[in-house]
Order: sequence, then structure tokens, then C-alpha cells
Amino acid sequence: MTEQMELEVRNLHFYYSGTTQALKNINLPIHKNNVTALIGPSGCGKTTLLRCFNRMHDLYPGNRYEGEILHEGSNILSDDIDLISLRSKIGMVFQKPTPFPMTIFENIAYGLKLKGIKKRAELAERVENALKHAALWNEAKDKLHASAYDLSGGQQQRLVIARALAVEPDVLLFDEPTSALDPISTGKIEELIMHLKNDVTIIIVTHNMQQAARISDKTGFMMLGELVEFDVTNRMFTAPSEKLTEDYITGRFG
Amino acid sequence: MKRKNPFDLSFSLLTAAASATVLLLIAGIFIILVKESSLSIEKFGIYKFITAVDWNPVKEIFGAATSIYGTFITTFIAMLIAIPTAIGIAIFVTEAAPNFLKGPIGAAIELLAAIPSIIYGMWGLFTLAPLMSRYIEPALQKTLGDVPVINVLFQGTPMGIDILTSSLILSIMIIPFTASISRDSFNLTPAVVKESAYAMGATKWEVIKNIVLPYSKLGVFGGIALSLGRALGETMAVAFVLGNKHHITASLLDPASTITVTLANEFTEADTDLYLSSLFYLALVLFVLSFVVLAAAKFFLFRAERRHSR
Repeated sequence: MTEQMELEVRNLHFYYSGTTQALKNINLPIHKNNVTALIGPSGCGKTTLLRCFNRMHDLYPGNRYEGEILHEGSNILSDDIDLISLRSKIGMVFQKPTPFPMTIFENIAYGLKLKGIKKRAELAERVENALKHAALWNEAKDKLHASAYDLSGGQQQRLVIARALAVEPDVLLFDEPTSALDPISTGKIEELIMHLKNDVTIIIVTHNMQQAARISDKTGFMMLGELVEFDVTNRMFTAPSEKLTEDYITGRFG
Repeated sequence: MKRKNPFDLSFSLLTAAASATVLLLIAGIFIILVKESSLSIEKFGIYKFITAVDWNPVKEIFGAATSIYGTFITTFIAMLIAIPTAIGIAIFVTEAAPNFLKGPIGAAIELLAAIPSIIYGMWGLFTLAPLMSRYIEPALQKTLGDVPVINVLFQGTPMGIDILTSSLILSIMIIPFTASISRDSFNLTPAVVKESAYAMGATKWEVIKNIVLPYSKLGVFGGIALSLGRALGETMAVAFVLGNKHHITASLLDPASTITVTLANEFTEADTDLYLSSLFYLALVLFVLSFVVLAAAKFFLFRAERRHSR
């Protein structure tokens, strides 16, 4: 079975403002409806790579990309790409839950309103769908108009996922989404991610190798700004082809 | 009970004494104000003093309404000018300015706060007032002076020594406070929350409007309330350009008087006990007003901090 490609990273170099090169010649395929995990020791560039996919680096002056990331036939790193529409197609969930200072309903509706959807009935319907999708509907349906800060940490993270899902993105980027959560909330988020891949393509950065092994289809191992190995997760964790990968996943360093 | 080290004990007693001084001072000032104004309080009562518009030292009739009105109107107009300007400055400095400008602009704003108020007053009298009377006020009369209803605000001969000029000076003096507190509150918005709004496809303006402003609302309120306290109590700058005239007027081009200006100008003239007592009474009114305003400011800032520490 040949898999369809969602994103393709080609010869990507990335430089933070100044001279430091953070990513060196990355080549990586991201397949549709897969969960792709990026693992590696702190400072290896996995979060930097993740933030290339929605051009978050553009928020800070002086950062520079070289190479290409192809999405639907066009290079999303090119200067004439519309960042606003790119970011509504490629959503992101951060390490810490980031609810906005508004109600639960408004949080989810936020992205939809940015897209110009104003009809109350449509908003209500899509908010409900997103919350159901993120497995938060039962807990939140009675307090949609309460502040998002009233939710627990794990619920807030699912709220943020629902918010990202509401605009129906192609890809969701997860930057260590469970590192600030307790084990039970972590379990719920992992379950959710595995369920979501039917609808969206997922790229997840994680420090937790068991997590990568549990939920991902493909894994990329990075070190010092380079992609050391990329493979099907099962093979990567049972028979890695690089010595470096083996040392890392068996806990010899990192 | 464990015995304390004698050095620790004396040190903590010393610091406690230093802190107690502050409370004693506040209480002391309050008591003196009440005591000194008791003659006037007995004569005019509270309600009558606050509402009476007569301030006539010759006939020994003293009512605070004109001074209170002057205080409120100058403060109100100053806030009207200062708040949008200050928030604009804060937004520019935190979100829009290129990095190399952020430092210099921030420093300039804080320097503005360091200029002694008497210098603002002199500048107001010798520079701003002539400009106002020659150019700005005639221009306002020619344009807004013909608009029904709001033309009452621009009646009379533009002399430059009036409510409008005073409010303008006041606003320049309080902009630094509001701007720097707003800037600090905006900076408390976590970068990652802003990033996640950008990651939703929000523009810079949408992030400021939907994320930064709501997030720092309480801090900004606190900053506004602090400036309000400062504007209510400002004396020197206003004394130079307000004209010290006791009346209630709708026109912003008329002179007026505030509580502080009345106090600064009239203590030397107070030749009777009742006159002197009434001035103290006026000071007591200002003391209570400022106290209430600053208490409100502290309350907002306290709530803001608690929310951010969650």
C-alpha cells in the first residue's frame, strides 16, 4: 500500500537570528493520516522543525529558512505564502495549555470567527462538533459560557485541541502536549491523538519515548539539528539501523 | 517556645518600628486634618460644604463645590486625553515597535515622569498657554464652537489660562504612569498564549485586541486608577494655568479652581479662623477622595497579580 504524502521536507536548513544553524539538511516525508513522532535529546531541533511547518519562526525577526516544505504542491516556506491561511490549515497545540482569556465557547469559536463565520447557529454547531471530537463535550456542555480558566489542566489541553480542530485543519502539530499533565490526562490526550489521525495528519514532538512508541506510526530521531533516522515506529524501536538511535532509545544517553 | 537570638529580635523590632511610622503618619495626618477643620465642619456640615457653590472669604461663606467640580473636570478631561494615548504608546512599545526602538521609547516615557511638576507648570504658563490662546482655542471655537450642544464647551474669550490648558498639562503628566503600567501589564501576557493565537491565523491587531488587552485588563485599570489619584492631587502644574476662579462653568475655556489650587493659593490669605479651618476641611475632602481612588487602584492591581500567579 502506498501512502499519500501530506508534507514533504526537502533539504531544509534553518538559522535562528544571528548565525546559529539549528537545522541541517532535513529530508522527511510526512504521510497523510499518520502520527509522526519527532524524538531526540533536548536542543536537538525537534521543536524548531515542528515550528517550521506553520512558520511560527516568522514571528521573530531575523530567522531564516533554506530549502522547501511541500504541501499540496506548493512550498510553504516561500515568501509569497499567506501565513494566515497556512496557519488555519496547519494548527498547533503547545506544551502548556493556552486557553484564551474568554469563555469556553468563544475559545472554540475564535478560529471560526477569524475565518469570517458569523452565523450563531453554524458557530454553535461547529463548536459542539469540535468539543465532541476532542472528547470534551460531556464535561463542558453545561458550562460553555464559563471562563476557559475554570477547566482543569487536562481539560484545558483538550479545549485547545478542540479549538484547533474547529477550523478543520489538514495537519495538527503537537509540541510536547502532555509534558505539563498528570498521567490520567496524558492517557486521555494520547487516546484522542490516535483517534484524531483518521481526520488529520499529526506531527508530535515528545520527550517521552514510550509515548512515541505507543501512539505514532512513524518516528524521526533527531540529534544536533540533524535527522539521524526516520522509520516506521515499530521498526525504529525494535531494530534501529543507526547505532546512535539505538543508544538513545535504550537510554544510554539523552 | 524557642528563644530568639537577641540580634534578630532587635532587628525585627527596628523594622517593625519603621513600618509602624507609616501607619502612624497616615493616622496622624488624618487626625490633624479633622481637628483643624472641626470649626468649619461644625459650621457648614458635610453635605452643605460639599454642595455649596459659594466660596466667599469676605462674607465667610465657604462651599467646596466649585473646587471639587474643578478637580473632577480637569481630571476627567486629562484622563480622556491620556488613557487612549497611553494605551497606544504601550501597544506600540510592546507589540509594534522594532526592537531597537523599544528601549529608548520606554526610557523616554519614564523620563517624562521624572520631570518635576513645577517645570510642567512653568512650561504651561509660558509656552502652552500662549499657544492655546493664540492658535488652538480660536481654532476650536471656529470649528466646534458652531456645533449645537457642544458649543457650550467653547464659550468665552480664549485666554489660555483655563480648564482645557490645565487638563492638557495634567494629561501629559499622567501619560507616563498609565503607559508604563500598561506596558508592564501587556508584557505579562504569556508569549505562548499569543503564539497560539497567531497559530490560529490571527493577525497582530487581532492578537492585541482579543488576547493581550483582555489578558491585561485589570493591570491597565490599576494603572488608570493610579494616574487618577495623581491627577486629583496634582497642584503646581495646574496652579499656574488654571486661574483660580471659584465658579462652576460649562466652558472649557474659562478659568476655574481645583481643591489643590485653592489650597496652594489661599493659605497665605487666610486671615480668619473659619477661613483657615475651611481650607483644612477642603484638604480633608481631597484626602478622602484620593484615599478611595488609590484603594480602588490597589484592589485592581491585587486582583491582576493574583490572576497571573494562578
